[in-house]
Amino acid sequence: MKINSYLRVWRLTATNALQIAFVNRGTNLFFLLGKAFRFLISLLFLFLIKESVSSVAGYSSDEMIVFFLTYQLIDSVAQTLFRNVYVFGNQVRSGELDFLLIKPLNPLFRILTDKPDINDLLFLIPTTLGSAYLLSTLSVTLTTSSLLLFGLLFLNAVIIALALHIIIVAMAISMVEIDGLVWLYRDLSALGRFPITIYHESVRLVLFFLLPIGLMLTIPAQVLQNLTPSVSLPIVFIVTMTLLAASLQFWKFSLKKYTSASS
Amino acid sequence: MALSVWSVLFVNQTELFGYTRAEMISYIFVAALLQGLILATALHGLAGRIYSGEISTLLLKPMSLGSYFAIEEIADKARNVLFTLIESGILIALFQPQIMFPQLAVFGMFLVWAFGGTILNFLFSLLFGTLGFWSPETWGPKFLFFIFIDFSAGKLFPLNILPEWLQTVLFLTPFPYLTFMQSQLFLGKVSPESILQHSIIICFWIVFFFLLNKFLWDKGLKNYAAQGQ
Repeated sequence: MKINSYLRVWRLTATNALQIAFVNRGTNLFFLLGKAFRFLISLLFLFLIKESVSSVAGYSSDEMIVFFLTYQLIDSVAQTLFRNVYVFGNQVRSGELDFLLIKPLNPLFRILTDKPDINDLLFLIPTTLGSAYLLSTLSVTLTTSSLLLFGLLFLNAVIIALALHIIIVAMAISMVEIDGLVWLYRDLSALGRFPITIYHESVRLVLFFLLPIGLMLTIPAQVLQNLTPSVSLPIVFIVTMTLLAASLQFWKFSLKKYTSASS
Repeated sequence: MALSVWSVLFVNQTELFGYTRAEMISYIFVAALLQGLILATALHGLAGRIYSGEISTLLLKPMSLGSYFAIEEIADKARNVLFTLIESGILIALFQPQIMFPQLAVFGMFLVWAFGGTILNFLFSLLFGTLGFWSPETWGPKFLFFIFIDFSAGKLFPLNILPEWLQTVLFLTPFPYLTFMQSQLFLGKVSPESILQHSIIICFWIVFFFLLNKFLWDKGLKNYAAQGQ
């Protein structure tokens, strides 16, 4: 089975990443502390707002916290899975990409998923548990159907993150420099800490339909809380599939332009 | 993002956390400018350059390492300030927010404090660079430091929205003097009587970190063996 080969390769690269993380225990501890500190400070800000403001753009303070927790979960998963894009520019420059292209696996698989971020993976455990506890204390309505639908939209969010990362690596084939693109993605996705509906209309349109950060982060949080989603769910899935198809076409197009000049 | 979030928070409020809407919008722009000027640094990879032996060639040049790094830093800051000004200009043109400006004398003092903050951050960057004399693993502590700076320098939100006890703890550290106090001075939230007191504190931290840097750099250079070159 082809899927087994992919799983075996991912397990190997994940084990390597884990071993590296344990070799550099001190550094990784600092990374974890930094992530925890950032998470707690963001929560502190939201709780300070909660004490002073009853509603923000039509959302209660508790609902705002759910938007942030959803962002935290989806962003951490995307960071864990697609961390390797950070070094892709170097792989193009050094010619290492050639070695990935000749392997009997889809090159995108290793380009995106090599070296999963162990820090984010470890960080997911306490934050998910903490988020679940926080959710139980907030005045938001969760139902079995909203949780199931959230699960579906969570998978959809991972597909959107996948498509956006494919676009980044496809652009990096010709641009070589990838840091700027990755940080642009990180800054744009950070806008999803709050519901996208609070932003200016033009920004909102871009973030729902062009670079669908809103579909990735805002819609799952809305559905989880049984709020009316800003974009109807069939459109969410159509946009996601269109984006994924377009990103794959763009990747193929970029790969045809690749000249392997550095190797 | 900060502009949108605070604009939305002020929709039904005239005052929030002791700030009017105009003060908060002004804070966002001043803080962004100060971050470009003070917190941006070209010395991120300094520890790596030391550990890899790359500074060996710099040590042979007829100028001090400190001067060389200072020039790199000035060039980087000039670029950052230029881009921050362009970015802020576009945002001001788009949203046309009401921004407050201080009196000329206060603005002069603001520039002096901004210069002090710049020196302080330069000394912090050098301090982290010295880690490279002893260890290749410097990104972890630096990451934690950056996250802490984002918060304690008031980059995420003004520090005076925090509980009183937390503000007291933060003011025992030099971090509020990186950008937060400068922005408060710009907004006229620092009383004339306390300007001298805060100026002395900024000077104290600069002298303290200068001496600490000098001690660690001298110790590190004695330890330095230029392997890898």
